[in-house]
Amino acid sequence: MQPQCSWTRTHAQMLRPLSHKCSVFSEHWLKAAHSHSHSHSVRRSHNRPTFRATMSTVPTRKESLPAQDGSSQKAPQPLQVAKRLEKFKTTIFTQMSMLAIEHGAINLGQGFPNFDGPEFVKEAAIQAIKDGKNQYARGHGIPEFNAAIAERFKKDTGLVVDPEKEVTVTSGCTEAIAATILGLINPGDEVILFAPFYDSYEATLSMAGAKIKGITLRPPDFAVPIDELKSTVSKNTRAILINTPHNPTGKMFTREELNVIASLCIENDVLVFTDEVYDKLAFEMDHISMASLPSMYDRTVTMNSLGKTFSLTGWKIGWAVAPPHLTWGVRQAHSFLTFATSTPMQWAASVALRAPDSYYVELKRDYLAKKAILVEGLKDVGFKVFPSSGTYFVVVDHTPFGLDDDIAFCEYLIKEVGVVAIPTSVFYLNPEEGKNLVRFTFCKDERTLRSAVERMKEKLRKK
Amino acid sequence: MEEKLSSVAKNFTPSPIQELSHLAQRCNAINLAEGFPDFPAPLQIKDVAVSAINSDFNQYRHVQGICDHLAAAMKKMHDLDVNPLTDIAICCGQTEAFAAAIFAVIDTGDEVVLFDPSYETYEGCITMAGGVPVYVALDPPQWTFCPGKLLKSFTGRTKAIVLNSPHNPTGKVFSKEELEVIAEACCRWDCLAITDEVYEHITFNDKKHISLASLPGMQKRTIITSSLSKTFSVTGWRIGWAIAPAFAASAIRNIHVKITDSAPAPFQEAALTALTSPPEYFEGLKKEYEFKRDFIAKVLTSIGFQIHFKPQGSIFLFAELPKDCLLSDVEYVKELIKEAGVVAVPGCGFFHKKLSMEPLSEASCNYQKRYVRFAFCKSIATLAAAAQKLSDLKNATRYEHS
Repeated sequence: MQPQCSWTRTHAQMLRPLSHKCSVFSEHWLKAAHSHSHSHSVRRSHNRPTFRATMSTVPTRKESLPAQDGSSQKAPQPLQVAKRLEKFKTTIFTQMSMLAIEHGAINLGQGFPNFDGPEFVKEAAIQAIKDGKNQYARGHGIPEFNAAIAERFKKDTGLVVDPEKEVTVTSGCTEAIAATILGLINPGDEVILFAPFYDSYEATLSMAGAKIKGITLRPPDFAVPIDELKSTVSKNTRAILINTPHNPTGKMFTREELNVIASLCIENDVLVFTDEVYDKLAFEMDHISMASLPSMYDRTVTMNSLGKTFSLTGWKIGWAVAPPHLTWGVRQAHSFLTFATSTPMQWAASVALRAPDSYYVELKRDYLAKKAILVEGLKDVGFKVFPSSGTYFVVVDHTPFGLDDDIAFCEYLIKEVGVVAIPTSVFYLNPEEGKNLVRFTFCKDERTLRSAVERMKEKLRKK
Repeated sequence: MEEKLSSVAKNFTPSPIQELSHLAQRCNAINLAEGFPDFPAPLQIKDVAVSAINSDFNQYRHVQGICDHLAAAMKKMHDLDVNPLTDIAICCGQTEAFAAAIFAVIDTGDEVVLFDPSYETYEGCITMAGGVPVYVALDPPQWTFCPGKLLKSFTGRTKAIVLNSPHNPTGKVFSKEELEVIAEACCRWDCLAITDEVYEHITFNDKKHISLASLPGMQKRTIITSSLSKTFSVTGWRIGWAIAPAFAASAIRNIHVKITDSAPAPFQEAALTALTSPPEYFEGLKKEYEFKRDFIAKVLTSIGFQIHFKPQGSIFLFAELPKDCLLSDVEYVKELIKEAGVVAVPGCGFFHKKLSMEPLSEASCNYQKRYVRFAFCKSIATLAAAAQKLSDLKNATRYEHS
């Protein structure tokens, strides 16, 4: 079957229409008359990565539908989707993935490994399935897993938390974020986001009707602009969202930065929501949890997940740690979003979180080796590579190669060079701010990374 | 810091079902309350999940094959033409499919019509999205609704109606005639319908489950939600879906991606096997549950419960307290836990006092405290043990009174 493409109006303006099969539809998209959607996936053959496949558009203006069955007795209301979706963008990932498949490109775009998780964790899941642990788990998590999370949290931050009252298990950190925002944010509340940001933040905040205030982190070191922060935080600020280590830049918030944010939060009674899924991929400095700073635990929701640390991104095991008065809201929303989290995987996750220190040491060592291959390679090719302290991402400036913007560059990279990167403009409130940057990932096996570097060395020419 | 909670969260109360479950656990009671099996899931499906984990199906994925199978099933069961590429969103359980559907179509102030009694989660979800639930009563003892009252509950602000059939807690399977009335209301007011069909394969006495979407004029305005959980006894796997016209499916997928990003990968693989189970599997499922329904009905009748309406589907039986019983449903269930070591769910949690038409008087509202829901999705051994305990209790009481 022919795959179809769809774009929101904003993207249609930003992008040149693709020259292949999709162009048939470009005129239709530019009219943005209806939302189209499709999904596709690649049946996973052994060596090929699989891709998330979702895309859709939302009509940005109301359309009247003709009453075809003649049964309407009043002027037909347009069957439209909720206003809260108007901010939702197409996921660029899918577009790139499709192009990648077509051109046989090596995918250093999407952030999941092409190698698998550790045997001991997989075995635990299998055992749980065989032992019949296949029914609803307790909504906020199985006691074993909550306890393991609390134990790990103590090890990482020094904080002692009550697993029964202060830990909530969710379907991935993505759901933890959704539950936190929907459970704690009222329509009209001001929330501060640091751009560039993981794409679910903006979407979920707009679902909650929040007023988003963005502060941009800029190259080369993506440091927090303290003055801008001070002038943005006010008594009207409800919450601030921090992702550290940071996707896509790899930045890690320093103690000084966190201290400044903390004092502003205390002064203005602001909550902090932290996304720390890459905390075990901290290379250049130690990861610091905001919750561990003086007086901050009481106003912080700390979120994390299994997926990145254990290369099991498809299991959807995440969690939120927060004081009881904040956990309540998170649990309420969670109970209506998914009600309960995958049971066998929670049992396996309990085992995973009790992994010995050696697991984490080896994880870092492996990733450091991969990082070296990619970073050295990107530098040799001619990119301006920004230092990345953590995560498995690195952002680079692509302008030496003479393309107009990040999307044009990524398309060129796929078609002419056979490598996929992600254009970072999608991670900003104002896409213009990201047009010089693209993101590469090194969560791939070494051979894949080397091949990608070779292709770029061979075919990517500076202008 | 409590003021930091959103207004939505502040209005929520803990689930009465879960609270009783905790009491039951403390008393080591036989749990006929929560709707999940205590018998194992089908072996072949578990094996596929195990093999998926071993074969490295552990990263984010979307398994298109599930959509293909679902589209085929919709055609076979309901003669619905569904495009597997555009009309289906795979979610973490029917819960998430429903939540995403609500968030996809409900704006602040939109009214949503629901039948009363109903599964407690719908209202919470609708309220979280800023919607306004409007209830239409299913009248005991047969849980029928008045078409006039249904039609009158639709207004210019009505966005959608939620239909759960086969129905939790009553076990009602909405008839063709009833669905036609609902369809007429939807078409007349140009509204959407969101259905919860998780018990679609659990119907009894050859009663057919009819999907609202299969009625004329309905497919283009209906979002069907369902899951693997009840059909395949894997409530803990979190594999569900929404089937809807492309514009809605796409919006639901968008939201799902922001809420959880993907359903658990290895279980998506297992879903492929589950969804291609032979007809014998589904027939066996029905027969087994029908037997259990009859068993539990007999047991409850023998201890005085009044079963005016025998479930036509689902895994629940909604029974009225014995005639001479003066306790409320909650009091009775507490007694049942303490004295008999059996737990069920008091029906009041499923009822809503504020019904759309005239508010009910205290007297006519009384029935809302007279019903108890029993789940029979348990092993024969469990049901037999419960039967024993209940009849022991009855004999003990009788002895006491003689």
